[in-house]
Amino acid sequence: MHMHIEEVASLGWKMSAEDCVRAMDAAGVHSAAVMTLTDLPGLNPQGLELIADACADHPGRLHGFLRLNPAHLETSKQLLRQAVTELGFKGLKLHPVSTLQHPGGAATIELIRLAGELGVPTLFHCGDEPMSTPLSIAEAAAACPDSTIVLGHMGGYFHVDEAIDVAEQHPNLILETSAMPYPDKIRTAVERVGAERVVFGSDGPVSSPSLERQKVVIADLGAPAAALVLGGNAAVLLGLS
Amino acid sequence: MIVDGLIFLGSSHFGYALAATTALDGLDAIGAGVALAAPVHPHRGGFAEANAAVAAAAAKAADRLVPLCRVDPWEGTDAVSELQRAVRAGARGLFLHPAEEHFRINDTRVRPLVEAAAELAVPVVVAAGYHLVAEPLQLGAAAGWTPDNPFVLTNGGQFNISGLAQFDAELALGHPNVHVHTTGMYREDFLERVVATFGPERLVFATAAPLFTMAYERQRVELAHFTDTERDLVFGGNSARIFGLAGAA
Repeated sequence: MHMHIEEVASLGWKMSAEDCVRAMDAAGVHSAAVMTLTDLPGLNPQGLELIADACADHPGRLHGFLRLNPAHLETSKQLLRQAVTELGFKGLKLHPVSTLQHPGGAATIELIRLAGELGVPTLFHCGDEPMSTPLSIAEAAAACPDSTIVLGHMGGYFHVDEAIDVAEQHPNLILETSAMPYPDKIRTAVERVGAERVVFGSDGPVSSPSLERQKVVIADLGAPAAALVLGGNAAVLLGLS
Repeated sequence: MIVDGLIFLGSSHFGYALAATTALDGLDAIGAGVALAAPVHPHRGGFAEANAAVAAAAAKAADRLVPLCRVDPWEGTDAVSELQRAVRAGARGLFLHPAEEHFRINDTRVRPLVEAAAELAVPVVVAAGYHLVAEPLQLGAAAGWTPDNPFVLTNGGQFNISGLAQFDAELALGHPNVHVHTTGMYREDFLERVVATFGPERLVFATAAPLFTMAYERQRVELAHFTDTERDLVFGGNSARIFGLAGAA
């Protein structure tokens, strides 16, 4: 539920669809949600086309999420509509550390609600930095009960327990496992909010999908729960089933 | 031989615990022969007792647990004295935890301890990455006090789930005596870049059990794209060299 494709020479960032697919193949991962590392409008004006082309080149394997800056609200709404209705994108990605837009801010809430109306989830970067903590994103979850919100990294290093807490409080929150380093917290999350609301992510290709998959294996969830976390839930979120 | 570069022994004031017998079972499960062991922040009592407890556990473990001496820099000269005593008793390094003992690593009051470690010829291991007290550049500054003594930083020298601390961590690695643990570092490309840019001698496997999961931390090194020679250094050769562990190279 979380991989990146990007090409921004000024930042030295270059990771391709082929990099993602190669890492997915090595990990035995069939499908992935892919998004840029930069926000639109922004440093990579071709971000939408980059993701759309990647998905077109790898049909059934890569599914686009559009990363947007709510500060440019009208443009972002127009881009999101276009991406979902014309290009088949499957979700919205928001990174408040990058955009400096609080999850509970009016513009962000409007964009999340639009995603919900379009039938796609919103994936948040959810870590330890201000404006990205679980309690910050819980403001958005409360304001947008009809939109599905995914907590990418499920709280990072130090906010994982809070991520599970807010997921218990808001049924529209999903916990995504990438990067956070604690296999046992995946098991705790499954026990507390249910396997249907925990989803595997890798944050690849700079993180290792193979290693991230091992985190779920080591969590020892049992076959039915592991199947949901490693694939079944993402299939529902991405509209694949 | 695989060497776990850091585990914590005892029952912590902060709610986590690891007994020596459990630690040894964990090491067996991941195929590690030896671990460097630091005391937790004791729930009651001082670091002298905690260091003695780790030393006693090490004495019973047939060279599989190698003690590190943990002290609180706020104790001033008493902390230096405890380090000297512990090293005479067999401790192989100084462990500092700026977050749990609430001090800034590059505060001048820490310097006598770091210099004492260098005089005793034992490396310094620091719990790294904590905002305000153990940021990568603060750690690099402290490493610069004793440039000829190894300065080992936990978890890649950083904690940041956006990858934003990698740049400062690499600047800290500009100090040739800085080494970083693999623990918890989610960016495989960072670990591989440390090896490629600074050399395989600068990256050290550790689990930081019980804070992190031994089996998963081993996979972090196992699955990274290293040569066999690089992986051998990361898994054990570097710890053996840095801490003078006979038979672990």
